[in-house]
Amino acid sequence: MRNPLHTPFTAVFTNEVLLNAKRVAPYVLMVLFASNAVLWWGWGPAVERGWATNSEFYIRRNMAAFSIILGLPIFTAVIMGDAIIRDFRLGVDPLIFSKPVGRAAYVLGKFFGNFFVLVCCQSAFAITLFLLQWVPFSKMVVLPVRVVPYFKHFFIIVVISHLVLAAIYFAAGTLTRNAKVVYGLAACFYPVYITVAYLVKDLPASFHVFIDPIGFNLQQKIEPWSRSADFLNHYVSNYSLASYANRAWVIIVSTLLLSIVYSRFRIDPAENKTEHFTMLTLLDVPDRITYTALSHELPIQASPARDRITLPKVTSTRGPAATLFKIFAAIGLEFRLLRAERALVVLVPLAMALSFLSVPFSRIAVEVSYSVTSATNTANMMLLLMAGVIIFYMGEAMHRDRELKIEPVVWSAPVPNSVLLLSKCVAMTLVAFALVLVGGLTTIATQLFRGYTPVDLSAYLIINAIVVVPGIIFMTSFVVALNVLLRNKYLAYVMAIGTGAGLFYLYNFGYNHWLYNPLLYRLWKYGDLTSRTILGYRLYCLAIAAACLVLAHLFFERKSR
Amino acid sequence: MLVIKNLAKTYASGVQALRGVSLELSPGVFGLLGPNGSGKTTLMKIVATLLEPDSGTIEMNGADLIARKDRTRRVLGYLPQDFGLYPTLTAWQMLDYFAKLKGIIDKKERHALIDALLDRVNLSSERTRRLSGFSGGMRQRLGIAQALIGEPELIIVDEPTAGLDPEERLRFHNLISEAATENTVVILSSHIVSDVCNLCSRMAIIRQGKILSECTPQQAVDELKGSVWEGTVAREQLSTFKTRFNVISSRTFDGEARVRVISKGQRPTEEFTEATPVLEDYYFDLVNQQN
Repeated sequence: MRNPLHTPFTAVFTNEVLLNAKRVAPYVLMVLFASNAVLWWGWGPAVERGWATNSEFYIRRNMAAFSIILGLPIFTAVIMGDAIIRDFRLGVDPLIFSKPVGRAAYVLGKFFGNFFVLVCCQSAFAITLFLLQWVPFSKMVVLPVRVVPYFKHFFIIVVISHLVLAAIYFAAGTLTRNAKVVYGLAACFYPVYITVAYLVKDLPASFHVFIDPIGFNLQQKIEPWSRSADFLNHYVSNYSLASYANRAWVIIVSTLLLSIVYSRFRIDPAENKTEHFTMLTLLDVPDRITYTALSHELPIQASPARDRITLPKVTSTRGPAATLFKIFAAIGLEFRLLRAERALVVLVPLAMALSFLSVPFSRIAVEVSYSVTSATNTANMMLLLMAGVIIFYMGEAMHRDRELKIEPVVWSAPVPNSVLLLSKCVAMTLVAFALVLVGGLTTIATQLFRGYTPVDLSAYLIINAIVVVPGIIFMTSFVVALNVLLRNKYLAYVMAIGTGAGLFYLYNFGYNHWLYNPLLYRLWKYGDLTSRTILGYRLYCLAIAAACLVLAHLFFERKSR
Repeated sequence: MLVIKNLAKTYASGVQALRGVSLELSPGVFGLLGPNGSGKTTLMKIVATLLEPDSGTIEMNGADLIARKDRTRRVLGYLPQDFGLYPTLTAWQMLDYFAKLKGIIDKKERHALIDALLDRVNLSSERTRRLSGFSGGMRQRLGIAQALIGEPELIIVDEPTAGLDPEERLRFHNLISEAATENTVVILSSHIVSDVCNLCSRMAIIRQGKILSECTPQQAVDELKGSVWEGTVAREQLSTFKTRFNVISSRTFDGEARVRVISKGQRPTEEFTEATPVLEDYYFDLVNQQN
C-alpha cells in the first residue's frame, strides 16, 4: 500500500506550506491577529463591564467578531486567491504537469495547503486568547482555565466560515487565472454582506443565522448590556439547529465549489489572442555581411529587396521646456495606461453610488444645512474610497515598468528621475480629483432631485478644498514613498493597509490627534474649517506630503540623475 | 571612438562580474562574445548608464559617459537582453512615447521619424495594433526601432537574436547592419558565434569578467589556419584522445566519434584531414586554454 506521506497530494500540500512559510504575509497576519487578541482581551468591554475574559459567552462573541471584523475575509483572498495562478505566472506549470500528478491531487493539495496556512494564521488569535488566561491583570475577571471553548468556537465559527470563502476565492482564481478577479471579489465582500443583511433585516432571527456564511450571526442571541456580569460569566453557550444547518450548507457549498474546480480545471495555458505575424522584408543581404556556409546554414529564401529607408533628421530639445514636455508626455502615458486597465468603468459608478447614498434618504434635523451634511458625508466616503484606489493604483503604476521589463529602456532615456516619479504621482492625483468631482456632482444632483434646496456650493467647495484635496495629495505622496522605499508592491500594500487600519482602529478607540491624523478623520466640523487651526493642520499635512515626495526622490532606485 | 579603461564591478553577493575590462571601439559593429554569466550584460548595463562600476572609466569622443549620464542618454540607443512593452499600447504610441522622452518636441518631425522607423522595421501595417498581439520577432524589431530614435551615436544591443527563428534572425542582422553608420558605434553582445561572425568588424571574447582576446573575426580565423583537423576515432578511444589533443567538438554515431581538433603544426593521426577554421574554433580554443 502506498505511504500516504509520499503521495502527490502530500507533496503539493507541503510545498504550498513551504512556499507560504517564505512569504511575509502569513507572519504579518499572525502578528496582527495576536495583537488584536491582546487588545480585545485587555481593553475590550469585558474589563469595563466585569465580564470574565475567558467566559464561554465572551469567547464566542470574540470569535464571531474576529471572523468578520479586521478584514479577515479580505486576508483570506490574499492567501487563497493566487495559489494556482502563481504556478502559471512563474511558468512552473509545464514542469509540474509533466510529472505524474493527478488533477485532484494538484487542486486539493493547493487548496488545503493554503487553507492550512490560513488557519494557522487565524489560530494566532485563538491561541493568544487561550494563553492570556494565565496573565490576568487587576480588575479583570478570569474564570478557571478552560480549553475546549476556545478551539470549539474557533473551529465552528472561524474555520468553517472561511472554508467557504477560501473555496470561493480559490475557485475564482483557478478558473479565471486572474488575481484581479479574486481581489475584486474580496473588495465586494463587505458591500454585498451589508446589503444582504440590510435586505433581510425584517426576517426571523433563525433565518439570519441560517443564511450567514461568515458566522457573525452565530453568536448567542442574548442582549449582554441588559444582563448581569454573573449571568454572562456562567452562561453555557449552545448552537441552535439553524446554526448547525448553516454550518452544514457552508461545508456542502465548499465541497461543491472544489468539485467544480476539479471538473473544470485545465492544465493548458490560458488562451492567447491569435498572434499576427509580419515578416521583415528589407534588403536581402547587406553589403557588409558575408555568410559562410559553416558558421550558419540558414535554410531560407531571401525576400525581395527593398530600398533602404533613410530616417529623417530630428531635433532633440534640452532644458526646462523639454523637461516639462517629458512630464506631460509621461502623464499622458500614465492616463492612457490607467484608462486601458478599464478599472475606471467600475470606479466611476462606485463613486457615484457612494455619493448618492451619502445624501439622507428622508428629511432629518441637520446641524448646519443639507448641503453641509451631504458634502461632509460625501467627503468621508470619498476619502475612504480614494485610500483604496490610491493604494492599489499607485502600487500598480509604480511597479508596472519593472513588471513589464520596460524599466531598462525607460531608464536609459534622457529623463530626470523627477519626471518618472512626478508623472505617476500627478496622474494618480488627477484621477482621484476627477473621481471626487464626479462624486460631488452626483451628490449635488441627488440633493436637487430629493428637493433639499437650496444647494450651497460653497460648502462643497470648502469641504473638498480643505479636507479632501490635501488628504488625497498626502495619501498619494505617502504611497509613492512607501513603494519606493519598500520596492515591493505587495509589501507596500500590506504596510499601507496595515498603517491605515491601525490608525483607524486607534482613532475609534479615542486615540485621535492631528499629529498622526493628517486626514483629520473626526477632527473637524464645518464651522471650524476656515479657522487658522485647521488651516495649520492642512499645511502640516501638505508638508508631510512634500517630505514623502522628497524621500521618494532621494531613494528612487535609479539614483543617477 | 568609445574607450573603456579598467572597468571593474563586483556585486553585493561577492560575484566579480568585471575584472579590469579595457576596450577601444571605433565606429562600426563591435561584437562582444562570451558564454552566459561572463559579464557581457554587466558591461552593457554600465555603458548604458544603468549600473555604476566600482572603478574604471568610459569615454566617448573624450566625454566621460559615467559622470555625464544625461549627456550619454541623449546619444544612446539601448536594446536590453530581456525587455518588455506596454501591452495595451500600439506600436505607434510606444515609439511616440520614447521619442518624447528623447526630447523630440516638434510634432511633425516626431511623426515623420516614427513613420520612417516603422517602415524600416516593416511594422507600418501594424502601427495601430496593440503590442500584446506581437510575435517575438516583431517585438524585437520594435525594440531596435526605439533604439534608433534620435540619431544615437552609441547603440547597445544585448543578445538581440536569442530566441528568434533563423529567418527572423537574418532579418535582424540586416537591421543592425543598417544601423551602423560612419559615426555610430554599435556594441553587439551575444553568445551566438555566428551573430558576431556575420555582423562585426571587430570583436572581443569575454569570460569570467576578463577580456581574453580582441581582434577582427578574420584575424581570429587566420590565426588557426593549418591547425584545425577533422577525423574519426573509435568511440572507446575518445576519452584517451581528448587527453592528448585539444578537441573542439565531437559527434558520435555508429560507434565512431567524428572529432574536430586543434593541433598546431601537427596532424593528430594519419586519418585526420585539414579543415577550414571558423570563428567557433577560435572561441573554443581560447576557452579550452583558459580551462
